[in-house]
Amino acid sequence: MGVDFTLNGKPRSFAGDPRTSLLHALRDDFRLTGAKDVCGEGFCGACIIYVDGEPKTSCLLPVGALQGTEITTIEGIGNVDTLNPVQQAFIDFDVVQCGMCFPGMVMTLTHYLKDNPRPSRAEVKAALTGNICRCTGYERIIDAVMSLHNSASGEVRT
Amino acid sequence: MTESMDKTTAVMNLPRRDARDKLQGRTKYTVDAGGSDVLHAALLRSDVASARITRLDTSAALKMPGVQAIATAADAPGLHGLGIADHPVFADKVVRYHGEPLAVIAAETLAQARAAAKAIIIEYAELPKVLTMAEALSQDAPLVHPDWEDYEILFEGGNRSGNIAWQATVDRGDTDAAFARDDVTIVEGSYQVGRQNHVSFEPRAVVASFEDGRYHIHTSTQAPWTVKSVTAKVLGVPEAAVHVTVPAVGGGFGLKFDCSLEPYATILARKTGRSVSLVNSRKEEMMTCLCRENADIHIRSAVTKNGEIVGRDATVLMDCGAYGGEQVFLTTMTAHTLGGNYKLGSVRIRTKAVYTNTPPNGAFRACNGVYNTFALERHTDEICAAIGMDPFEFRRRTVVGDQDLGATGQVFEGNVLGPMLDQMVAKHPIGKRSDTLPDGRLYGRATTVGTWFIFVGPSAATVILNADASATLVTAGVEIGSGTMMQSLPQIVAANLGIHPDAVIVKTADTDAAGRDLGVGGGRTTVSIGAASEAACADVRDKLLEVASGLLQTKPDNLVLTAGRVEMKGRPGSGTTIRQVVQHAETTIGPISGSGAFTAPGVPAMPGCAAGHFIDAIDVPVFAVHDCEVAVDPVTGHVEILSYRLVQDVGRALNHRAIHGQIQGGVVQGIGYALTEEITINKNGAFDQTGFESYHLPLAGDVLPIEFELYEGAPSIGPLGTKGAGEVPILNVAATLGCAIANATDKKVNTLPLTPPRITALLEGRQNGSNLGHVARLRGGDKR
Repeated sequence: MGVDFTLNGKPRSFAGDPRTSLLHALRDDFRLTGAKDVCGEGFCGACIIYVDGEPKTSCLLPVGALQGTEITTIEGIGNVDTLNPVQQAFIDFDVVQCGMCFPGMVMTLTHYLKDNPRPSRAEVKAALTGNICRCTGYERIIDAVMSLHNSASGEVRT
Repeated sequence: MTESMDKTTAVMNLPRRDARDKLQGRTKYTVDAGGSDVLHAALLRSDVASARITRLDTSAALKMPGVQAIATAADAPGLHGLGIADHPVFADKVVRYHGEPLAVIAAETLAQARAAAKAIIIEYAELPKVLTMAEALSQDAPLVHPDWEDYEILFEGGNRSGNIAWQATVDRGDTDAAFARDDVTIVEGSYQVGRQNHVSFEPRAVVASFEDGRYHIHTSTQAPWTVKSVTAKVLGVPEAAVHVTVPAVGGGFGLKFDCSLEPYATILARKTGRSVSLVNSRKEEMMTCLCRENADIHIRSAVTKNGEIVGRDATVLMDCGAYGGEQVFLTTMTAHTLGGNYKLGSVRIRTKAVYTNTPPNGAFRACNGVYNTFALERHTDEICAAIGMDPFEFRRRTVVGDQDLGATGQVFEGNVLGPMLDQMVAKHPIGKRSDTLPDGRLYGRATTVGTWFIFVGPSAATVILNADASATLVTAGVEIGSGTMMQSLPQIVAANLGIHPDAVIVKTADTDAAGRDLGVGGGRTTVSIGAASEAACADVRDKLLEVASGLLQTKPDNLVLTAGRVEMKGRPGSGTTIRQVVQHAETTIGPISGSGAFTAPGVPAMPGCAAGHFIDAIDVPVFAVHDCEVAVDPVTGHVEILSYRLVQDVGRALNHRAIHGQIQGGVVQGIGYALTEEITINKNGAFDQTGFESYHLPLAGDVLPIEFELYEGAPSIGPLGTKGAGEVPILNVAATLGCAIANATDKKVNTLPLTPPRITALLEGRQNGSNLGHVARLRGGDKR
């Protein structure tokens, strides 16, 4: 008997060991490799995905606990031709380096800005507590995020 | 003759072409390669630091479910290394460090491979071990390599003996006479620093296959040609039988500058005939990282009251761990950092790479330059205190300038550090260096200087001019995240051919397509691969202009390449498109391509000054000035960085925005090294820090925007006068923070990292953990 859930909008089933971490199921079984296996302990945020719209570290989630949920990975954010505002800001500000942390950064910040469209710099940094980057030194990521709420209405650009 | 193109068009903020896929999670790094047809491998590693292997039995493991092959020392008898071939692929009869590979298993799944690793029977007879350099150098210390005299020497000149894997020395002038002068103050200091883990987010990883009688290694490396030659050596096969390809690399920082996991997967691919994936777990990556090494440093200087350093005598001990590795090479770089920065009347330096029964170390962004600069700049502030001279004034008077001598007697060209110091204070005048803030915290400010180098050496490039006037650049360069392959190289090629960088296709590294290259690291990519690419473009240009000359009925000298066209000089619109010339060439000389090469020009040192050095003089020196303000909490020992700014010598900035990214990221790595990233080695010879909970990387809330100015115009052999800009930002971060914290606390700061417990111990006058008697003793007994 498998575990059934919706993955990036499509019904999927996982028939393996229900104790398998969602991260490994995504990467090994569904071959969705956008979520990265970096620390494996929930500290770095490189494996963040959404379960029912909430960001979660997929390395710590057993698939068995996900029956009936809706799972969205970085591959489910937009499509190959469209970027969301956070992704576009990262391109506009040339902040990407090795890139391993960025799928998780995009997931965390996209969700955070939905509820907090006009954060302060300090608030963005606090929101990134669970996302570690080894290349960039963070500040230019924050610069890119801060550019997003400069619109007259104060809303995140869509 | 004026140039046939305008190279200054290379300067632009070209965006990265790899950013989009990386942001969409679509980039396939080595860890993402593979699928159901790939076998998964796991290493069995030793859990003791020093032992004789009495039994290694794989028979039960071979019968485990899914297991396809197991390899051990018998499958890879060769030794490899840098300078000395002292490193086996698998521990053979003897284990020399905790975590050393004993066997590797390939199975259908990773879980099966790991289960089989546990089923291998391993028995040891433990041997005495040396876990610190003080122990390794003590009398009657057990030797990590009792057979050290039998090893193949790959590079001549290093003095070796017992647990001293390599010694490099510098002797310029009469230091004994300098120290004996009656008009000098003698200042002496000892410093001790710990290891730093790169924590590249993509661990070391490889997928190997055996195809058409050759080995195909798809790997996360900075140095594909090193992987090719080392794997061939340890497998005992011709280099030509090894083919290395490299996709996007998820961070390197020097960790991937050496061959590491590749031979294991390659052996298994040969045994099974299948593709084999081997990826270090994060725990393996933490515990067997080829760290920036721990080091013990002793510096003594003889200084006149005017601030003239007439003599310097330094000893540096670098822990290479169980095998020599990069540390053997890096002994060279002590001379160029401790002997850089300042004018020295005479200098004597002894640098020893010391074997211990600990995991081997490696290269890490600016390598030993980072801690040697920490020691040197702290020592310099101690000199200033001893002779009563302002630290800025001392530096302004004493930094090396045009025609001054480096440690090994090389002659520096151009005044660079002096004007850079002026540029710093012009914007940020020096006020107080220490104070107590209204909230009770201790304020400190410091300004430091740094000298490092661009690691040049051989590179090759091919440029193919395509029928649509796009160009394909083929090199063994790897994109490790710094952006060099995405930004500076296409910018350079485009400017040299009069096309837009978007029309430059950059081939990913492939040793079957590109010529030899030393690898991406040491700030060398823009300089070395860039210079080879320029040479290849010149070859293309000569052919293109010759054809165009026939087509346009004018001499090649009268033509210029610009905006995708060949024009007559000074007459825009007079010529034709490059595309038309290429198409015409197909009917006259055939398709157009060019090849180019570069190697180190070899700046001379003073004969007889340096021994055991891989590089006697540095071809491209690079300089930095850093300045910061800190507030130290006297109760908790917590350090807040109030401001951080720097002036960096970049030769010429090709992509200002990309350099900004390197500066912000490099300084933050330096902040981690200086303040929070600590590795401790326990009594079993293993690191205590096995993951991100215990190894403290800087988080977003720990950092601040780094203010910077670029210093352009210093001499460089790089294309358009460039120097590498990505390695250097980390160089004097620990130095600057260390000096600022010393000013804030009025204490002798001489260790790293400066964690809160270390700082409170300093403030309370408790011993801060360093006992460096062995370094000073060595100096006394070693005046050769």
